Amino acid sequence: MKTTPTPIYDAPSERTGHWWRLHRGEDVVLSLVLGAMVLLPLIEILLRSMLSVGIANAATLVQHGVLMVGMLGAAVAAREGRLLAMGGLASALPAPLQRPARMFAAAVAMAVSATLADASLAFVAVEREGGNLLAYGVPLWWAQAVMPLGFALIAVRIAVRSGETPRARFVTVALAAGLWLLAQAAGSGVTTPGLILVLFAAALGAPVFMVLGGAALALFAGDGLPLAAIPLNHYQLTVNPSLPAIPLFTLAGYFLAEGGAPNRLIRVFRALFGRFRGSAAVVTVLLTAFFTSFTGASGVTILALGGLLMPLLAGVRYPERAGIGLITSGSSLGVLIPPALPLILYAIIARQPIETMLLAAVLPAMAMTTLLMLLGIWRQPKEACGDRVDRGETLAAVNAAKWELAIPLVTFGGLASGLVTPTETAALTALYAFFIEVVIYRDLSLRRDVPRVMTECGLLVGGIILILGMALGFTNYLIDAQITEQVSDWVQSSITSPWVFLLALNLVLLLVGAFMDIFSAIIVVTPLIVPIGKAFGIDPVHLGIIFLANMELGFLTPPVGMNLFFASYRFGKPVGEVARAVLPALAVLGAGVLLITYWPALSLFLPRLVAH
Amino acid sequence: SAHADPVKLRLGTLAPKNSLYHRVLLEMGDAWKKAQGDGSGITIFTDGAQGGETDTVKRMRIGQLNGGLLSVVGLREIEPSVSALQTMPLMFRNWDEVDYVREKMRPSIEKKFYDKGYVVLSWGDAGWVRFFSREAATHPADFKAMKMFTWAGEPEQMEIMKALGYQPVSLETSDILPALQTGLIDVVPATPYYALAAQFNGPAPHMLDLDWAPIVGALVVTRKAWDAMSPAGQNTLREAAASAGDKMRANARIEVDEAVAAMIKRGLKVTPLTPELEAEWRRFAAGIYPQIRGKLVPADTFDEVSRFLAEYRSRK
Ligand code: NA
Ligand code: NA
Repeated sequence: MKTTPTPIYDAPSERTGHWWRLHRGEDVVLSLVLGAMVLLPLIEILLRSMLSVGIANAATLVQHGVLMVGMLGAAVAAREGRLLAMGGLASALPAPLQRPARMFAAAVAMAVSATLADASLAFVAVEREGGNLLAYGVPLWWAQAVMPLGFALIAVRIAVRSGETPRARFVTVALAAGLWLLAQAAGSGVTTPGLILVLFAAALGAPVFMVLGGAALALFAGDGLPLAAIPLNHYQLTVNPSLPAIPLFTLAGYFLAEGGAPNRLIRVFRALFGRFRGSAAVVTVLLTAFFTSFTGASGVTILALGGLLMPLLAGVRYPERAGIGLITSGSSLGVLIPPALPLILYAIIARQPIETMLLAAVLPAMAMTTLLMLLGIWRQPKEACGDRVDRGETLAAVNAAKWELAIPLVTFGGLASGLVTPTETAALTALYAFFIEVVIYRDLSLRRDVPRVMTECGLLVGGIILILGMALGFTNYLIDAQITEQVSDWVQSSITSPWVFLLALNLVLLLVGAFMDIFSAIIVVTPLIVPIGKAFGIDPVHLGIIFLANMELGFLTPPVGMNLFFASYRFGKPVGEVARAVLPALAVLGAGVLLITYWPALSLFLPRLVAH
Repeated sequence: SAHADPVKLRLGTLAPKNSLYHRVLLEMGDAWKKAQGDGSGITIFTDGAQGGETDTVKRMRIGQLNGGLLSVVGLREIEPSVSALQTMPLMFRNWDEVDYVREKMRPSIEKKFYDKGYVVLSWGDAGWVRFFSREAATHPADFKAMKMFTWAGEPEQMEIMKALGYQPVSLETSDILPALQTGLIDVVPATPYYALAAQFNGPAPHMLDLDWAPIVGALVVTRKAWDAMSPAGQNTLREAAASAGDKMRANARIEVDEAVAAMIKRGLKVTPLTPELEAEWRRFAAGIYPQIRGKLVPADTFDEVSRFLAEYRSRK
């Protein structure tokens, strides 16, 4: 059975508009940097294992690839008008107010982007004086210069898209310039009006990065601290050694998603689970959970499977909003399913054995998956019955998808063999996914599809990395103003019961999950909570499972909820509407988090069993 | 001037909260605050809250922080030549030698820092680098079959390992533990204190009892912050920092033994060295000094260190 994959997005490849040559050139550079990020670690593996040498600063080069992909991808997203945004308030306004509202939101976003460009310029100037080298005699600041350029380009593109006529655009630019001048004049008094303005613009549809970046700018300015701290945080995030795994796994997921993998996998899952009651919901939950656990990127699951699972659910007259909720929430389950990347990252940061962490996650992941399946079955219209599938079809389905079902072996076989690092595993997985979809299944054409898929992946990753960097800037303010430290001190002095502590911990983690992405949360929050947890007698392994279970909720809560963003993209709904659609799932998974929290044996039983 | 403007000092360190390092910094801050006068204050960000050491230096450059307690990892970001001391394996035999050479070289190193915009307040140590390995190893040749960790941010360590005939694998520090577990690397050169904190002794339970190279650190502030202080504030800070440095150095020396003892309790096996073996190691390391001099360490710095060492040894 030959499947015809439908593109998730028709990424721009048209030769229209005044600037099309420049735009296509931009797309090519983005794809080339992504390609280099895949190849560089793989060349490094070869050189290391065959010749016992390596590329000078290979890891550093890949990390700066993330910086480039992040800024360039975000600039492309701005060009296409696809920077992630929260608010849908503008569309609820009376018609004559809609255009001014949009222009106001654009003006605030433009002022913030321009301020970030200016702050980045200051950061790069200081770094240039520092005189560090990237590799092969190339100064570090050359790579860092992509930040002021990127923010400036984003500011320009926000202005371009703010109106149809030159006059409308001029009004936006004038308004942005006015805001800039006001902010300069206000000095350290900028904080309160700045925060209000930024929130208001967000509600009217300004991009998410602007909310976090604008808030961080206002807060840093209020304390008389250098604004260059925000680009520095963005830089610090993008060059984090663990971060390249995100674009690389996303790229792997994109090759699979745009190839025929979703069709082949859905066939396998329907053959295996189709006969059960509520089978459409069961297949949805299991498939999204599985897809996320082996690509490591929950968002790609939504993009890849959303378009296939929605018709499946619609076929049994599943309510549309409940269907969106189920797909969006199911895609976060993979976080706890071994061998998911967050489990490994937590084990590393909390200094726990990786295998213990993976074992501990098995039963909690099953509990969370079961709970969501029960919700799904309950909401599925009763009279719909499942498919009947014979054994021959099951075997044929598994055989057809065997190369894709083998991906976990590639990903974790590499790690277990002692030949590769986690980042290199991600590169290996991306290359494998590319190879099977282009060469073995021939679902993607090297010339027609691959550049389009890579540009699309870069656009998406860029938009997200921009948000993550701005979120880190915001978090840095909390650290700088010693708010996090005061909270930690307060916890240790005012809470005595471990039960109360665990409840408070869940509330705090819910808040963390609301504002931070899972990877920076693991990096920033783990070192903070592990010692406090130990003081209350909580096993770091159990604490990790509680933490990651909360992060599953964080995928589904605004303002920084990755799955909400992806689902908003995929289903063409405002983020706010998707957020309402996942509320029932959030309640059910919240109950799961409490179960995991107050029943330590669920996490610790398997590791203890194996230890004895 | 008698009435200087209030100064806010913001220092970053990787040292944990309430550790000895944190406590002596707080003590120093209190003494300085009194001398500097009303409205002045000091904030210490512990546990790497403001990022790793290179991030701390970047934050000093933009003015978000104005000082830090740094190891060579951060100091080399300011002035690369500072890593010379630990780029010469088995050059020093004990702390007394390190102290002697450092005292002699201080004026010239501190001048370099001053020219780059930083004032070095005091020097500290973070211990000796030792080899932690998956299998026991005694002779220099025993390590040739093993893959050795080198930090991705320190290419010259890679050069040294290659020159010795070893198989270096360049990784990020966050990769060390999983890489040891899977066999991607077999040996990690690390200070016992760091090895204990990062639990290297689990997958790499053998430690060779050989002090490979010293890891040094320093307390620095930006010249901008320094120049804003009153003369009384400057003097008090220098004195308080010197006494803080003494306490930290004394502590680092105890820490090495304490960390080793703690790891032995958890199953670490120490591979002892006879004087003959130690001599074999020193000959082995000396074999690559010509490759280090003039390439990895400036020739004049290398000669200076050698001269001071000869001077110290002849006096004893
Ligand atoms: Na969230
Ligand atoms: Na989140």
